Amino acid sequence: MLSFRTQGYNGYSVKYSPYFDNKLAVATAANFGLVGNGRLYVLSIQANGQIANDLYFDTQDGLFDIAWSEMHENHVVTANGDGSVKLFDITVPKFPIMQWKEHQREVFSTAWNLAEKTTFASSSWDGTIKIWSPNRKQSLMTLQAGKPQFQNNCAYQATFSPHNPNMLMSVNANGHVQLWDTRRPDPEVADFIGHGGAETLCCDWNKYRSTVVATGGVDKMIKLWDFRMVPTKDSTPMAVPQAAPVPLNQFIGHDFAVRRVVWSPHDGCELLSCSYDMTARVWHDQTDPNTRICRFKNHSKSKVFNQHREFVVGGDYSLWGEPGWAATTGWDEMVYIWDSKRL
Amino acid sequence: MERLSQVQTHLTSASRGGVQAAKQKNPDDVVIVAAYRTAITKGGKGLFKDLKSDEILYKFTKKFLEKVNVDPAKIGDVACGNVLNKGAGATEHRAAVLAAGIPDSVPFIAINRQCSSSLTAVNDIANKILAGQIDIGYACGVESMTSHYGPGALAEISPNLKKDVNAKKCEIPMGITNENIADKYHIDRKVQDEFAAASYNKAERSIELGLFKDEILPVEVEVTEEEENDDDEEDSKVVKKTVIVDTDSGPRKGVSPQSLAKIRPAFKKTGSTHAGNSSQVSDGASGALLARRDVAEKLGLPIVGKYVAYRVLGVPPEIMGVGPGYAIPQVLEATGLKVDDVSVYEINEAFAAQALFSIHKVGIDINKVNPRGGAIALGHPLAATGTRQLATLLRELKTGEIGVTSMCLGTGMGAAAVFVKE
Repeated sequence: MLSFRTQGYNGYSVKYSPYFDNKLAVATAANFGLVGNGRLYVLSIQANGQIANDLYFDTQDGLFDIAWSEMHENHVVTANGDGSVKLFDITVPKFPIMQWKEHQREVFSTAWNLAEKTTFASSSWDGTIKIWSPNRKQSLMTLQAGKPQFQNNCAYQATFSPHNPNMLMSVNANGHVQLWDTRRPDPEVADFIGHGGAETLCCDWNKYRSTVVATGGVDKMIKLWDFRMVPTKDSTPMAVPQAAPVPLNQFIGHDFAVRRVVWSPHDGCELLSCSYDMTARVWHDQTDPNTRICRFKNHSKSKVFNQHREFVVGGDYSLWGEPGWAATTGWDEMVYIWDSKRL
Repeated sequence: MERLSQVQTHLTSASRGGVQAAKQKNPDDVVIVAAYRTAITKGGKGLFKDLKSDEILYKFTKKFLEKVNVDPAKIGDVACGNVLNKGAGATEHRAAVLAAGIPDSVPFIAINRQCSSSLTAVNDIANKILAGQIDIGYACGVESMTSHYGPGALAEISPNLKKDVNAKKCEIPMGITNENIADKYHIDRKVQDEFAAASYNKAERSIELGLFKDEILPVEVEVTEEEENDDDEEDSKVVKKTVIVDTDSGPRKGVSPQSLAKIRPAFKKTGSTHAGNSSQVSDGASGALLARRDVAEKLGLPIVGKYVAYRVLGVPPEIMGVGPGYAIPQVLEATGLKVDDVSVYEINEAFAAQALFSIHKVGIDINKVNPRGGAIALGHPLAATGTRQLATLLRELKTGEIGVTSMCLGTGMGAAAVFVKE
């Protein structure tokens, strides 16, 4: 296990570079992200096992998420507390090379389009998801994730499908999970309540099973869904009841809300989760895809990473390292790099 | 600091069960948009005596739909409780709701789970909303005990089955089951009469204060009266009059334990159960409109309460009245609530002894039970009681308070449900 301290800044997100096997970016915020500055750390793992801080960028408000560019090895985009989205080049110190101010409130997530690579998405407390191109000054598209009848429409996370460049999913404070297809005039394909109406904080697409996704919520649960089992707006011409479809599986074990879920890039059944209960966990989905009968007992297995001493908020799998290598960060100002196989 | 309160909600709203979870407002909650009832009239002589149950339900539902500004075509299902009609009123009550203005595209189910029928209808609708089958549903119950109560109201058990000791127990008259409870748990007549008198006094006071005005939908009824001519019987005229039924006719004024002490036991010569400390034979209807919270909000429907949970269980048929004593703990356990977390208990007073047993078994503060009187004073139109209790409960509770409705069921069951006033 390797560690790095982001002194004075509390971690919100950590991501491995898709280009360099030893580079990571960490989004942090002072004062637990409640008020104050943010800092983007760029770290590299040295051959001697030390983690070096290559450089950092200071921002005027907390950073809540980051995404590495899939088409330029030095570019990182950040989600900022002041509602801006900033693009940094790690060879150009101090300032961002681009920034966009369209969101009306805190931006909570950023995600690069893995299939098409020229666009990225952001989601915000203002209830919108925006799709951007680094080459354009304005957003390409705005998706209205919030609904006027709800009090809190914060879109906690939006993320592109790794299988289809036009598909996104998003999760919201109003408890709704949404599926989007940007090719359609009405892009919202499906909408359901996933966690019994509890705030849903995070989501990720499975990298091997193109219709399978995971969501995590304030109800402490992680649920796996197959979008083929979710009624879409097209499939039922009558009003679609938005109650939850049946999940494929659910992972129960966290003692507090689940802040992040990430599927392994190497194993379609392995999932990393981070929680307010100060642990990160690695889960193995043991449901048999051929017998999809929902009995959740003994259909999952988890291992616990419990080095963190505060809320664990960000995590990622190493893409180029050994399968199972992972990085996590949290409010204890620590970044840990660890091997989930050795837990 | 909105960011701080956001993190706080992530940490605190995760409680599974307990007061917080019950009161929590989630978009997929089942909420109560409205709950009303008719006045309850005495069986055989009240103002509903000339109406069959379908007509009572028709008049009530018509008023209900006028009162609640909902497009009837948006109702996904109607569940109607009824105990005494043949086939639980599946035909005539479907007819009644159609006549009242619910379109024929809305389906209908007749439910008979004895005295909990309309509470079970609420649960049926709530479960369909939770399962995503419907968005909005109408749960109701109606009973004309005038028309259907009496000898022959209950089906016979086949002679062969009667040889089975447990099967035979299902035939025990309700009054005898209460005598069994009074004997077994040593509940003497004095405390039963005190409880019954209190029910009358509470109901009398509530009517004087107009506390039932909001929950009762007044309906017009045509009554025929014979004006008797003293001299010649042939001259007696039949006069038709339209009267508005808006007040319960069950409660008597000035009832005291002493006045009840004079009444003779009804079921056993040496018994303690009598007309004054048992529920009355009555006619009436009641109903509630339920919806998923986000649908209610979208359609701008009012939200008066939240459905939290319902449980039903079986008890020995020969002491069927103990039902609430077991059903209430079960529903409280399921919701993680403690007895004292609940502000008001509406426990059906089928008989004083069984109600007292249940109250003491659960350990409920008796001041929290039926604060506006119960079935001993108001009457017990069997299948209408569940949503009648709900309508009353939601007007007794203050916003944010938790309430429980419960009742015993003939043939040995207890049902209980938890609601939150919003």
